[in-house]
Amino acid sequence: MILSDVLRSEVVDAAGHRLGRVADVRFRFEGPPSASRARMAGIIVSPRTSASFLGYERSTLDRPVILDRLLRFVHRGSFLVDWDDIHRFEDGRVRLRKGYERRSATLPGDDE
Amino acid sequence: MTDRKSMRAGRVVDAEFQLIDRQVIDSEGMPVVAVDDLEVSDVPWNTDLPPGTEAPIVENLLSGPVLGTRIFGGRPPESRWQRIAWKHVVDIGTALTLDAPAKEFDAGWTERWVRDHVVGKIPGGRHDPE
Repeated sequence: MILSDVLRSEVVDAAGHRLGRVADVRFRFEGPPSASRARMAGIIVSPRTSASFLGYERSTLDRPVILDRLLRFVHRGSFLVDWDDIHRFEDGRVRLRKGYERRSATLPGDDE
Repeated sequence: MTDRKSMRAGRVVDAEFQLIDRQVIDSEGMPVVAVDDLEVSDVPWNTDLPPGTEAPIVENLLSGPVLGTRIFGGRPPESRWQRIAWKHVVDIGTALTLDAPAKEFDAGWTERWVRDHVVGKIPGGRHDPE
């Protein structure tokens, strides 16, 4: 699968209600660093735009303030959905499981 | 040689933000390609994912002619992608660092071919300006 098949796809809940678009896909490293694998941890759903956060999803980035406020405003309401809560991939659409959880989309800083 | 701390278990990265469009450099610090997309292991498509389905992993960095497809949509044909296996990535920072020299990867072969067969034939094309 090519990742761009998922990026910017529409996200709907189990009832078919539109929740937003896939703004990014989060991966988590596992295994020893010498044989590290990057496994999909979930998708970032943005209700208003599929554009990138430009890095302002990081907890450690808040300067310049005007950009920080603007990007956080544009992406307000964004959330992370765990891989386990994804029910189905379709062309241009991702369907979530009933009872999916909205998690914080904040990306921990590299030193956290 | 990097100690691969940037790839420690548990670290999370966002693909669009930290991987896609990043420069890839080889073990000697020379630029190879840019990451245009990622190839992840296959997941069932247009069918329900059974609970407990294992999440896909990144298999390859992809580089290819994406300018047109980013403007007009779609994606390049499968045969046009140049792939670099994920296992060769040893560091993720402002660039992605590989564990071997560029010549060991197919990606970037066109640039090397032009260097050897075109630029190299031009008088003075094989050394720095004097």
